[in-house]
Amino acid sequence: MTKVVNKDKAVGAVANQITHVVLQYFAFQFTYVKKNNDYLKTVDGWLDFSIAITTEDGAVKQSLWFKDGKGFVKSSIEGTDCKITLQDTGALARLAMLPPNEVLLMVLRHEMTTSGTLVFIETFDFLISVLMKNSQIKKMRKQREERLETGKEMVADPADAKREKKPKEYLKADSVDPGVKYLTEDPYLSTYSIEQYPRLQKYLDIHHCGTPELCSERAEILTKYFRKTGFETKPDGTPWVPVERQGLAFKHLMEQRKPIIRKGDLLAGTTTTKEIGVPLYPDAQGTMIWAELMTVHERMLNPYGELSPEEIKKLNSEVFPYWTHRNFREYVREKYHEPICQQLDERWAAIFMWKTVALSHTILDYPKVLRLGLTGIIDEVKAELEADKDASEEKKLTLEAMIHCYEGMITYARHLAEQAQKEADAETDPKRKAELQVIADAVGHSPEFPARNMDEAVHAVWVHWVGVHMESTNAGFSLGRMDQWLQPYFEADMAKLKTKEEKDAYVSHVLELLGCFYLRCQDHLPLIPDIGNYLFGGSSSDQAITLGGITPDGEDAVNDMTYIFLKVTEMLSMRDPNVNARYNASKNSMTYLKRLCEVNVNTTATPSIHNDEAVMASLVEHNYEQRDMYDWAATGCVEPTISGKHLGHTNCMMFNMVSALEMALYNGYHPLMRWHLGPKTGEVGSFKTFEDFLQAFFTQLAFQADLACEYNNLLGEAHSVIRPTPFMSAVIDGCIQKGLDCTKGGAKYNSSGTACIGLADIVDSLMAIKYLVFEQHKYTLEEIVQATKDNFEGHDVMRSIILTETPRFGSDNEEAVAMANRVTKFMKDTFWAHTNFRGGHYTTGFWSMSNHVAFGSLTGALPSGRLAFQPFTPGLTPEANASKSLLDNIKDVSKLDPVSMNNNIAFNVKVNPAPKDTHEQTVNNVTSYAKAYSNLGGMQMQFNVVSSDTMRAAMANPDEYRDLMVRISGYNAYFVDLCRDLQLELVNRADYGM
Amino acid sequence: MWGDDVERPLVLELKANSLDDGPGIRTAIFFKGCPLDCIWCHNPESKKAGPELSVSMDECIGCFTCKNVCPLGAAGPDRPGIVDRSICDNCFLCTETCPPKGLQRVGIEMPMDEIVARCVSDKVFYDVSGGGVTISGGEPTLFPEWVGELCQKLNDAGIRIHMETSGMFDYEKVREHILPHLSSIYMDIKIMDREKHRKYCGIYNDTILENFRRLLQDSKEMGFDLLPRTPLIPNITDTDENLASIAAFYTELGVTKTELLPYNPTWYSKNTKLGLTLNEELRGLDSWQSPEKIQHCKNIFINKGIECI
Repeated sequence: MTKVVNKDKAVGAVANQITHVVLQYFAFQFTYVKKNNDYLKTVDGWLDFSIAITTEDGAVKQSLWFKDGKGFVKSSIEGTDCKITLQDTGALARLAMLPPNEVLLMVLRHEMTTSGTLVFIETFDFLISVLMKNSQIKKMRKQREERLETGKEMVADPADAKREKKPKEYLKADSVDPGVKYLTEDPYLSTYSIEQYPRLQKYLDIHHCGTPELCSERAEILTKYFRKTGFETKPDGTPWVPVERQGLAFKHLMEQRKPIIRKGDLLAGTTTTKEIGVPLYPDAQGTMIWAELMTVHERMLNPYGELSPEEIKKLNSEVFPYWTHRNFREYVREKYHEPICQQLDERWAAIFMWKTVALSHTILDYPKVLRLGLTGIIDEVKAELEADKDASEEKKLTLEAMIHCYEGMITYARHLAEQAQKEADAETDPKRKAELQVIADAVGHSPEFPARNMDEAVHAVWVHWVGVHMESTNAGFSLGRMDQWLQPYFEADMAKLKTKEEKDAYVSHVLELLGCFYLRCQDHLPLIPDIGNYLFGGSSSDQAITLGGITPDGEDAVNDMTYIFLKVTEMLSMRDPNVNARYNASKNSMTYLKRLCEVNVNTTATPSIHNDEAVMASLVEHNYEQRDMYDWAATGCVEPTISGKHLGHTNCMMFNMVSALEMALYNGYHPLMRWHLGPKTGEVGSFKTFEDFLQAFFTQLAFQADLACEYNNLLGEAHSVIRPTPFMSAVIDGCIQKGLDCTKGGAKYNSSGTACIGLADIVDSLMAIKYLVFEQHKYTLEEIVQATKDNFEGHDVMRSIILTETPRFGSDNEEAVAMANRVTKFMKDTFWAHTNFRGGHYTTGFWSMSNHVAFGSLTGALPSGRLAFQPFTPGLTPEANASKSLLDNIKDVSKLDPVSMNNNIAFNVKVNPAPKDTHEQTVNNVTSYAKAYSNLGGMQMQFNVVSSDTMRAAMANPDEYRDLMVRISGYNAYFVDLCRDLQLELVNRADYGM
Repeated sequence: MWGDDVERPLVLELKANSLDDGPGIRTAIFFKGCPLDCIWCHNPESKKAGPELSVSMDECIGCFTCKNVCPLGAAGPDRPGIVDRSICDNCFLCTETCPPKGLQRVGIEMPMDEIVARCVSDKVFYDVSGGGVTISGGEPTLFPEWVGELCQKLNDAGIRIHMETSGMFDYEKVREHILPHLSSIYMDIKIMDREKHRKYCGIYNDTILENFRRLLQDSKEMGFDLLPRTPLIPNITDTDENLASIAAFYTELGVTKTELLPYNPTWYSKNTKLGLTLNEELRGLDSWQSPEKIQHCKNIFINKGIECI
């Protein structure tokens, strides 16, 4: 024993020595080699920072310091800006060899933790890549080749991976909904297909095959601006009121932005200067890409275009250093001294806080934008300023900030109109010239003034949408009930047309215009640092559109535009906009439901279908005004927002319920994080009854939820200081009247939405414990915990018994359903009791984006029989072997109480049409499932109509399957973009034949 | 009546969410036991009316639980095929304890009320899809009284019933107990030639053809749909001669619609699980029929003016 300790000590001492030497070499390189030293220069002076490197056992304690362009090393870790702690010396050795994109992935393997200013760790990793770029790239290329090779192993014969594309078939509608005024001949529009629109086909091809590029336009303009006008204080030294600062900054940004009309497009305006841009928001998470600037074009998953040396220099020396401390995360760290809740988030295993990225996930008042135009909104704000003589200083400044924003926006719209006119004048092709003239006229009028026709209305929405994404991070902003809001323009336009030819031509134009709109919405992608490829792989910014349902008056809302949007969705089969459909069984027709299912079959993954009445039932505790509640729409993935009146930041956090279960099994200790974090809820042998154990688990859940809400609230404060959003606030009901920015609670309705992950894994684990330990007395809880520690190796019999005998969620088992309802209710009550920074409740959802894979990879084996590091089930979908019958899954999920799931759910169903079935049979089968689920009271359902074999073929031959769309949990993605674990999770989902 | 001494039908499988056993979403109840002995039988485990032991080698985790409970020493991972069938007397003790459920009793005395309850729990799916319950087999008519009572209970719950039958049954009893509850029937007409029928299906077809005639008559009176179907077994039932005779039979009776069931070669493993060996005449029949061949078969009926799906 002593020998081992001595040996470890010796290894530690050597590692400490080596680390010292390596860091010294590093310091030398950046101090004395000029081309390297240049990377330490910023426009504000030298890049000064320090980073400590240590191991958990304390054997290694070294730090690297940069000051005034000189580097040096200390054999201590005191007083540094940030710190990396490695699990052991082995992990340290691996760290030294990793490409920059992979460093943070070590956190995802529990091999490393970080503390202190996270941005400086990015800076440090960037400097490593300055020295190691070539070998890093070599390594990344090898990874990519390996992925291709292992993908080929997924099929027996490469010929199996060949893609046979069956031509899509289209049904005709068998009845006409009352709200359909003009498409009465065939609301399904079965004669239209993408082949009729070469423009859309071309853009779609670029969408699938183009390489996204980092776009620094916004970041650069704002950084320059703030450097001049000040961020914390004005040039005269007085402090800025944040909302005042942001209003003026936004105005400046919109005035300075380049007005771009994509070549050939029907819509003017872009969120980026690139063909497909990844806008940088350094005030949020933008600096997270710093480490990858040299290598991002070579990374295995979702690479971006290669950056030129000039771009790298600009970002490294001008943009990023300015924001190192001016972002949400670092605001909290510095003001609140890196509280435990923040540390927990940065371990990634228990919670993931989207609030560090954005305060978004909401739906703005587009009807107001259309009705009033930007000038009308300014008038409304001015009227409030005049009317409220006693307005507080904050109110005045907030309202003035709104005016600045909308003035800036008008300038941008005018620039677009001028640009369109210029291009129209210069255009020689008469057809394109005419199109450009239509664009110039449309954008010249709307968004500035109220829209009068469809072209103007779509421009108004799109250009405003651009503004939204210039103010705040592109994460989950959603479009709302576009079919409702555009229908009046469709009807007005159609009423003016006389002949059938004219009308047909107009319908075709609207299809193409909205096709362009969908594709415009994909001109920007969210910034995904490589760690994000594993946390939420392949996600775009999840811009939800919601169709159908009922009107604020409670009438059937399905209309012509509903079917037009469905046709566009079907033709393009894109992951985003994320199309959600409300199906109100009392008001909506079977014809409509069948069409939703047909589009789902034809696109393989979209729309997601909501049982309107169940979703509204889930919202009961909010006490929304009825008309408001009837106007709900999906946000981001699936979450309900009251359109135009509600800042519900419905995805503020992803919450891993399973980590709380692990802590309950280890008396507050998290085994993989190696952290005594939770309260002491009892040694594993001390539970006398199942209820005792359940209470321990609930205590851990509540503890974790307390931390998550605490951090979310601190981040909420950070948003109100770092980035108030007056542009957005002017179109959320309540903000103008209150004179309060929406980041501070100005909205009429406020809430924060959570996504709780691992429900099926939790329920199955609890049922196994209840049944085997406390009812059948087959095993003790200690024995079960031991088996999970051993990852069930040597415990085959126990695992078999768990898998075949214990009641499972999704097997038509009342007891398991009751357990699920207890867990969801506890979770909902716990979150509901918390108040967010804006004064609203927390809501509780059970969907997972793709964090069920990431969190799973950070979790050991479970009493449910799930092996260590395997994915959890997506959303609240039952485990794949719970039942052979899909109907059992459907029944159990439908029995969950909506009131406990007030941030909605994601229930994934993978169905595989039999080759012998006709298109109509397949659609009818899917429709039957959806209808029965709705009759049973289920809330939300999403079908993947694709087989595991097709997915395997796509892994073997990714190039042929670039457009294969799948639904993950709430959002859509292209299968080939996903990390391997996520791909396998999809392959292994229960494959129900039809 | 067919060898096994059972008092009531055993359930082979209660298959929920079946989309292939009649219209809409259905629950198919497969009963054990069949009066025919077709050499190509796709469900060999359905032939005997009595219970059998099924052994799935893939599931075995090598835990020796079965060895410890087997009173005859027939079972154990160290035994060839896990269970030595020359010693096993089908006591099924091993199936009750096998942790991964690799050893299973095929054929269960499922209480009628449990069957009804399980079907009723899927009723919402039948209702939205025009589906219901299918009684199938084996041959579902072996115990007409018992099955009739089950059908009555399902009808009482508002569930429509479809039957799949070989046509070999005691007509009067079936007419009395089962037919009143059915909304539709698929009946197999496999081989017209009397001798060949006996050769390949184990019995003569006189009763089957007679029962079909009577069913056809009763279908109008009693209000159920009747669809005759023919499984296409290469070189046995799919010959031009056989199909032409069947078509002539239909024409004679005024049958206007039939269905052909293409050959399904994916059933070898089932035989080995039950310890059976393959009939020599079927060796090598391991591939699907070509679409051309299937169309050719269909045309034999279509040319006679009979709709063929």
